[in-house]
Amino acid sequence: MGFLVENPGVLTTVQDEGRYGYERFGMSPSGPMDSRAFHIANILVGNPWGESALEVTVLGPSLRFDGDAIIALTGANMSPRLNGAPCPMYRALTVKAGDLLQLGAARQGCRGYIAVSGGLDVPLVMGSRSTALKNRVGGFQGRKLEKGDHLSFRSPAKPPVHPELRAAPIPAPQEKEVLIRVIPGPQDDAFTREGLECFFSRSYTVSRDSDRMGCRLEGPVIAHKTDGNIISDGIVAGSIQVPTSGQPIIMLAERQTTGGYTKIATVITVDLPIVGQCKAGDTIRFQAVTVPEAHRLLREQDKELRALQARLDSPSCPASPSFYRITVNGKVYELSVQRV
Amino acid sequence: MSNCTLRWIGDQALSVEFENEISIQVNQKVRSLRHALERKALPGVGELVPTYRALMIHYDPLRADLDALTAAIDDATAHPDTDELPKAIVTEIPVLYEGEYALDLEEIARLENRTVEDIIRIHSQSDYYVYMLGFSPGHPYTARFENPFSFKRRSEPRVRIPGGSIVVQLALSDIIPFDQPCGWNIIGTTPILACDYRRENPFLLQAGQWIRHVPIDRAEFLDIRRQVELGEYRCRQYERGKQ
Repeated sequence: MGFLVENPGVLTTVQDEGRYGYERFGMSPSGPMDSRAFHIANILVGNPWGESALEVTVLGPSLRFDGDAIIALTGANMSPRLNGAPCPMYRALTVKAGDLLQLGAARQGCRGYIAVSGGLDVPLVMGSRSTALKNRVGGFQGRKLEKGDHLSFRSPAKPPVHPELRAAPIPAPQEKEVLIRVIPGPQDDAFTREGLECFFSRSYTVSRDSDRMGCRLEGPVIAHKTDGNIISDGIVAGSIQVPTSGQPIIMLAERQTTGGYTKIATVITVDLPIVGQCKAGDTIRFQAVTVPEAHRLLREQDKELRALQARLDSPSCPASPSFYRITVNGKVYELSVQRV
Repeated sequence: MSNCTLRWIGDQALSVEFENEISIQVNQKVRSLRHALERKALPGVGELVPTYRALMIHYDPLRADLDALTAAIDDATAHPDTDELPKAIVTEIPVLYEGEYALDLEEIARLENRTVEDIIRIHSQSDYYVYMLGFSPGHPYTARFENPFSFKRRSEPRVRIPGGSIVVQLALSDIIPFDQPCGWNIIGTTPILACDYRRENPFLLQAGQWIRHVPIDRAEFLDIRRQVELGEYRCRQYERGKQ
């Protein structure tokens, strides 16, 4: 039981939390580009947060189910339809054998997630089901999904009892210009004062060459004191490399693990999903924050997701609010309905 | 007492940087710190990624005790314990230095004003140290400590060279695990895989180890490649100085 890929969309891959523990061998973890949306999708279908799900990009796939399942859609809004009728995001949906799920072009954002209760049956490679596209390993045969592929479900350890009641608030759509918070360094001292001012005050446009490896930006040149080269050292998710060209690159899920370019700053963890949702032409501004502030924001986000999970999993779940987005005369309203 | 700087890398990692140079002395400090922290196994501390002169320490901000972590770093760098380092392992890398498997060998000989036989002898006569792995899975950055060659990169990088290529410049020699663009000269090709996902541990090498290139002929190359395909080949490994 699983689904047949009738149309793969632009770039649909299997991702789980990521392949950790091998960075010292030169292998980046891969994993979801918007971990927040990915975690919420899994929470909605009753999975562990890091369970394998589909990441869909820019233009979503069409999937024909041949077994019953509980699924959830989060992240970029690709106008999902189930058997031709619009279906809601950010809530658990029951699909039956024969159902057709179709996603279209992203109306906002760039990446969406389709989680299935139980997860997807692809082999564990080095402890993970994530596809590493560049390294051609993991996920479904180490590649993006293609027309005619068939993926099977793994059976859920504990399927959710009231799928129809499992809903999460729909986040506000991301603006075309976003503010990304960063911790300066480690090589911020390699830049001139003007270079640093430029980075922290001007806006940078996401280039067409961006992918799961990195978000390439174009904008005013960030000036180095000498040049953009260092003795190669480690790179983390969110490292912002500025080579001698002065154009920044935010390193993401499929980054290289080491590199020889100066890094002006690192994106804080809670803002990485925002970068993951940026598409070509969107613009980014950077703002410096402190490490304790970044940790506070991360704890807050973690608490929020734990609260969502606790609410959905509690026996009193029927009393929890349901969220709807309705359109009246072209205007979108977001409603929350709660039994009182 | 080591001369080092601790830097905060975003909100999930720390980097400890030693002297800003590529040398085995500095790299051994990185290695020593890595092993000290690995032995401590502090809760919430994740991967420890060594590079030439720095150690990246990943931590989970929701679980790690950062005061305990920084105290452990201070302690380990104040009292580096090189006796505890793992043994220096040498891995033999069979290399075919011939024809289409050694595209630039003749040009290297011309650049160095030596015979092809000389070049092969020089490349295979001493050990290269593995400073770090990076760029692609299983890709070692190796070097030795005298300058065997004086040539640098090619003027025009190649768009794609095959996995298995052994590339060189100056004191450096890398094994290319997978097809990739490359601007270095190809001195030979190895039939072994620096990264093989079929193996339980896919990676042949680790930072802090050594490699030795061993010339093989075409028949040996084909034989080893066949064994590699069957997953039966094991590279010869020994403790350095105890061959």
